Amino acid sequence: MIDWELVAKIAGGGFGSTLLVLVILSIVIWLIGLVMQRRARRAKDESK
Amino acid sequence: MAFGGLTWGNILMLLIGGGLIYLGAAKKMEPILLVPIGIGVILVNIPFAGLMIYAPAEPGVIPVPASGGLKEIAEGKIGLLNLLYHYGLGSEIIPLLIFLGIGALSDFSPAISRPSSFLFGATAQLGVFIVFLIAYLTGWFTINEAVCVGIIGGSDGPPTVYLTVAKAPQLLGPITLVAYSYMALVPILQPPVIRLLTTKKERQIYMKPQTREVSRLERIIFPIAVIVIAGLFVPACLPLVGMLMFGNLLSVTGVTDRLAASAGSVFVDVLTFLLGLTVGALMPAIVFLNPKTLMIIGLSVVAFAFGTAGGIWAVQIANLFRKEKINPLIGAAGVSAVPMAARVAQLEGQKANPRNFLLMHAMGPNMAGAIATSVVAGIFMSMV
Repeated sequence: MIDWELVAKIAGGGFGSTLLVLVILSIVIWLIGLVMQRRARRAKDESK
Repeated sequence: MAFGGLTWGNILMLLIGGGLIYLGAAKKMEPILLVPIGIGVILVNIPFAGLMIYAPAEPGVIPVPASGGLKEIAEGKIGLLNLLYHYGLGSEIIPLLIFLGIGALSDFSPAISRPSSFLFGATAQLGVFIVFLIAYLTGWFTINEAVCVGIIGGSDGPPTVYLTVAKAPQLLGPITLVAYSYMALVPILQPPVIRLLTTKKERQIYMKPQTREVSRLERIIFPIAVIVIAGLFVPACLPLVGMLMFGNLLSVTGVTDRLAASAGSVFVDVLTFLLGLTVGALMPAIVFLNPKTLMIIGLSVVAFAFGTAGGIWAVQIANLFRKEKINPLIGAAGVSAVPMAARVAQLEGQKANPRNFLLMHAMGPNMAGAIATSVVAGIFMSMV
């Protein structure tokens, strides 16, 4: 007997969760990069 | 003399073991794994040697290795390889520590400098879920077995071994062998799918060499951020993600160089040959020669094809909204298989446009794919 509810949960929910986690990760990494680049630029400006 | 106990199945497996050693040694296909797996296959298919003893199983059920300790070895109830399996793989220690070594050897800078890589790494997991569906709906596999067959599409060894040991240990031999063999075959499997799904014009898209340098601080924050985010959303992926990121942290801090060098060399080498030998020992004829193995071989091709397609389609969708287009070949590298998939993107890119150097662009989704597969393994661990 195929448990359709579980199949939908694993295939749909699982793929969706993977996308969600990785999208959040990419946003956080992008934000960290942004802050770091600004910090580096400011430090460079101050040293001039 | 063991001739009396030799079956046609054993003879076939001895040939397969020899073939694996040939592929590793002569053709240099994943030699670090295929050579130990090949010798493991040969060792367990010589009757009466007693190196790996299987527990009795009901007819039609794939047997699993008998468990026990030193006392059982002395009594002849289990063999040396049973012990390696029990303490190394059954406990999940070996795949997790291998991931630590891989983390120490990995450079995530390409993914950090282009965060959209994580999206392509995630969509390349499409093959995992499609093959899970097919495997389960055919009725050939239980739900536990189907997730393990699906994870082959992630093209990452340790998550595949980790999940299979926990959910379907009876299939560990064929699944691990197929996963590592297909990883070696990525340069053959991916190009036809890439050419089918992309136009020559798309493959010619020129991408400027990456200029942004990733600072040391960013590289130190990265593994910590991954551990916290992935761990909070999918706690069950933390054994894998935690080990991978811990290994990476050792190499990026700049103050634990000795630890990183150890983790990425002798440490990971010893674990890898123990893994290979033990996995090979999981392939006696009675376990390996059954219809499920053939199904796994077929389904894995589907998993790789859809994984490649998932990455390519994500880039093609992203390009609809972008002014500066991305070459869809780098999406195909989202199917982990580090660094083979990235090399395929580089080679196919250069064939279409000799000016293109896509390797570093492709390494981003490639490394992100390793994290994504670990997250998927964690999701399967918690859902099934």
